[in-house]
Amino acid sequence: MTDEKTQVQDVDRAFYDFRDEERDSCRIDGLTGEIVEQISGEKGDPDWMREFRLKCLEIFNRTEMPDWGPSIEGLDMDHIATYVRPSAQRMNTRWEDVPEDIRNTFDRLGIPKAERASLAGVGAQYDSELVYHNIREDVARTGVVYTDLESALHGEYGEMIRTHFMKLVPPTDHKFAALHGAVWSGGSFVYVPAGVKVEIPLQSYFRLNAAGAGQFEHTLIIVEEGASLHFIEGCSAPKYNVANLHAGCVELYVGRNATLRYSTIENWSRNMYNLNTKRALVEEGGKVEWISGSFGSHVSYLYPMSILNGRGARSEFTGVTFAGKGQNLDTGCKVVHSAPETSSYVNTRSISKDGGVSTFRSAVVVNPKAENSKSAVSCQSLMVDDISRSDTIPAMDVQTSRADIGHEARIGRISDEAVFYLMSRGVSEEEARALIVSGFAENVSKELPLEYAVEMNNLIRIEMKGAIG
Amino acid sequence: MVANSLLKVSGLRASAEDKEILRGVDLEIGEGETHVLMGPNGAGKSTLAGSLMGDPRYTILDGTAEFRGENLLEKSVSERAGAGLFLSFQNPVEVPGISLENFIRTALEQGKGEKVRPWVFHREVKDTLATLGLDETYGERDLNVGFSGGEKKKAEILQMLLLKPSLAILDETDSGLDVDAVRTVSRGVEEFRKNEKASLLIITHNAAILSALKVDRVHVLVGGRIVKEGGPELIEEIGRNGFSRFEENEG
Amino acid sequence: MAKVNVPIAKTFGWLGANGTEAAVPGDRRTEKVRLQAGETRTVVLETGKESWDWEAVLEEGALLRLIQLTGDGGENVNTVRVTCGEQARFEWYRVILGGGPVYDQCTAELAGDGSSFTAEIGYRLSGENLLDMNVEAIHLGRRTKSAISASGVMSGESRKILRGTIDLRKGCKGSEGNEMEEVLLLDPRVRNRSVPVILCAEEDVVGNHGASIGRLDEGISYYLQTRGMTPEEVERMMARARLEAVIRKIPEEAVRNRLLETEEKDA
Repeated sequence: MTDEKTQVQDVDRAFYDFRDEERDSCRIDGLTGEIVEQISGEKGDPDWMREFRLKCLEIFNRTEMPDWGPSIEGLDMDHIATYVRPSAQRMNTRWEDVPEDIRNTFDRLGIPKAERASLAGVGAQYDSELVYHNIREDVARTGVVYTDLESALHGEYGEMIRTHFMKLVPPTDHKFAALHGAVWSGGSFVYVPAGVKVEIPLQSYFRLNAAGAGQFEHTLIIVEEGASLHFIEGCSAPKYNVANLHAGCVELYVGRNATLRYSTIENWSRNMYNLNTKRALVEEGGKVEWISGSFGSHVSYLYPMSILNGRGARSEFTGVTFAGKGQNLDTGCKVVHSAPETSSYVNTRSISKDGGVSTFRSAVVVNPKAENSKSAVSCQSLMVDDISRSDTIPAMDVQTSRADIGHEARIGRISDEAVFYLMSRGVSEEEARALIVSGFAENVSKELPLEYAVEMNNLIRIEMKGAIG
Repeated sequence: MVANSLLKVSGLRASAEDKEILRGVDLEIGEGETHVLMGPNGAGKSTLAGSLMGDPRYTILDGTAEFRGENLLEKSVSERAGAGLFLSFQNPVEVPGISLENFIRTALEQGKGEKVRPWVFHREVKDTLATLGLDETYGERDLNVGFSGGEKKKAEILQMLLLKPSLAILDETDSGLDVDAVRTVSRGVEEFRKNEKASLLIITHNAAILSALKVDRVHVLVGGRIVKEGGPELIEEIGRNGFSRFEENEG
Repeated sequence: MAKVNVPIAKTFGWLGANGTEAAVPGDRRTEKVRLQAGETRTVVLETGKESWDWEAVLEEGALLRLIQLTGDGGENVNTVRVTCGEQARFEWYRVILGGGPVYDQCTAELAGDGSSFTAEIGYRLSGENLLDMNVEAIHLGRRTKSAISASGVMSGESRKILRGTIDLRKGCKGSEGNEMEEVLLLDPRVRNRSVPVILCAEEDVVGNHGASIGRLDEGISYYLQTRGMTPEEVERMMARARLEAVIRKIPEEAVRNRLLETEEKDA
């Protein structure tokens, strides 16, 4: 019992809530053309990128806020620092070179401890800039590139980035995609050459520290024909009274017969507006696997999208969302079947507690070209008390007869019988309920590397403890 | 060898999910004959039955199958049925919204290309149900929906009697049934055999269903090939010794 | 023009399913009825080109069977709203044979404890038919039950949107909502949009939804072909069966038989 308690304390939410003294070398509030120019200048963008940023700003200004999701009224764009640059001036590949305060932060979060736990590479972003990046030598030798996007932009992959950057998620997609395009900063670039199978995961970690800040990192991953990769993304931020904004963008290009697994355990602080856009383009015979755990943030809009562009392309989405007090987490996924014999599989769980709102929102589109395609969506929601909300809003748009589209959704509560059964074997009611919820979220935890699965289960336990009495 | 050859299978090779299951099957059945196909689990018995009927799950790799001298393998599933081939399923699918009687009538009309008068047919269904000792309401129920395993098998036999095929393949129709259901199936098979020209290929593990029947020939399928053929005495021998003798030979 | 069929909860805007701009005729027929406690009433609304705004209040234990039919070539913009008192029951039978276009909104407010709503929807669309529906079961009372079931067949270049919402509001303890949709698609040019929503603000409830959209199941098709039917015949028969299954549930014999005869003729 004592052991277990220590473990829980280890990952107590307060653990993520410490904050460092702000020592920003440069801080910009609000959003105007001059500011975007200034960001661009600070970052030494190539001309095309500077022009692209300005175009995005223009799109941002004329695009309406989404009218279908949770309220984002608490987000005042005029008072959000759109760009915060920490005092670390350059990207470091040696952990010792990262400034001490930032290093301490990541040490507390377990980075690079995670790296030691046999990851192929680690990247860490602190506020708007990537402060640490490293890739194991043996992996680098196979031609795999894992670096920050800014340096890649100026290096030999500059042209590749130009032809892929925000081509999957165009700035016209929605208001926050445009915002991202205008002020993006930091993030990762991963390139896996044809045929290379990266056996161990690459990992990135984002942390937002400054109050009222925005984080707009861009992740661009290109996995060439026949290659495979597992990429893990973790996010956290301390709590402030001022709202923070995360409007990141993830673009994944999965080549012919390539496989990419993209795992995320997101635990942003409870004042974060997480308006993130993730998208994958999958070519013939390729496969994208999304593993997604959403635990943090105040409001989330998160629907990773798979565009199945080549014959036989596949997408699997496995997600769990836990909305606690003060949280409105609108999560789900989108799949567009654009080629014959494509298939998609969606399996999600959501849990709402203490007045939290979780919404599962999805769209499966089967284009006329996608004959002989299949899709199966299954979503389950668990109501833990009677002050929370759980909504399920799936949509299907089928434009060919030659398809098999299935969907099932279920909302229910923790069964009294199950609680009774577990209690009859000697566990407390609180513990029994926590166990049942962990079991409910097993679809995701069993897909995660062990240390992440443990962390996720601990997060669930923290949320569930104190549920009674 | 067979006087009035009805079905002649030569060198048939077939696969399921890219795995070769039938590895060159030869089999001939004459008009009015009753044949038995036996073999251990996984030998390919159902694959053979399904391949002859045109089950889309199986891919024909090589070989021929002639039915009344015509190439069976190039016919569509419904053309095979129209030509007089019938397969009773081990696990018939449930088809909601279509009553058993309406369905068989529609199938018959389409097979013959002429209208079947509903009440005349209803009478025939009633008589056949009585012969099988089945409840009258059977025909009104949706095809296989909510039927027990035994009821499904009985419904397959009912369809066989009403559709009057020239060759009926019964794929383990007797397996997993209680004594009463086995009796019903046996009665159906006897009834079917009253037509002297009708042929049967019975796939079974169980000698009980065969005891009342005059079996003309027994084929033993092991590892995707017919490894032994003989008279009814083979049934008894397999009942005693199982398939190990044949499997050893195969290995 | 006005926006019709706006659902309680919106989906992504780009799907174009958050309500539809439709030409709403000004001369819609309206009717408001009240069923006394314990009363049972069957109402048949047959619509060709006319549209209805139809409302009912069911007092304790009342039973309303609303049979609503739209024949081939019908054009309607309808709204139906029924409020159920304690133990009251609303049964909605909705059959649409063609439609050019049909906009249908049906809301059942399950206000009284133990009240219930069943919707049996059957449709056959072909050519350029358009069917746009929004069905809502709002659970307010305790131990309320809803079951929305839709079964349809689409061919030609027909289009359909079905939004079905089970809204389990706070306080509706012990309630259960079920929604089932089956759509048989027979032509690659059809477009089917389905938005089955479950909203839930109460713990002790159950909400289920299932949908199956696409071509005929291969296993069924093969099985029926082994008994001598061509794939086309199998398709035709199954399409008919889908609709007949709904028609057979209509509790008014004369209406039921007439629809079955029409089906027989058309097939």
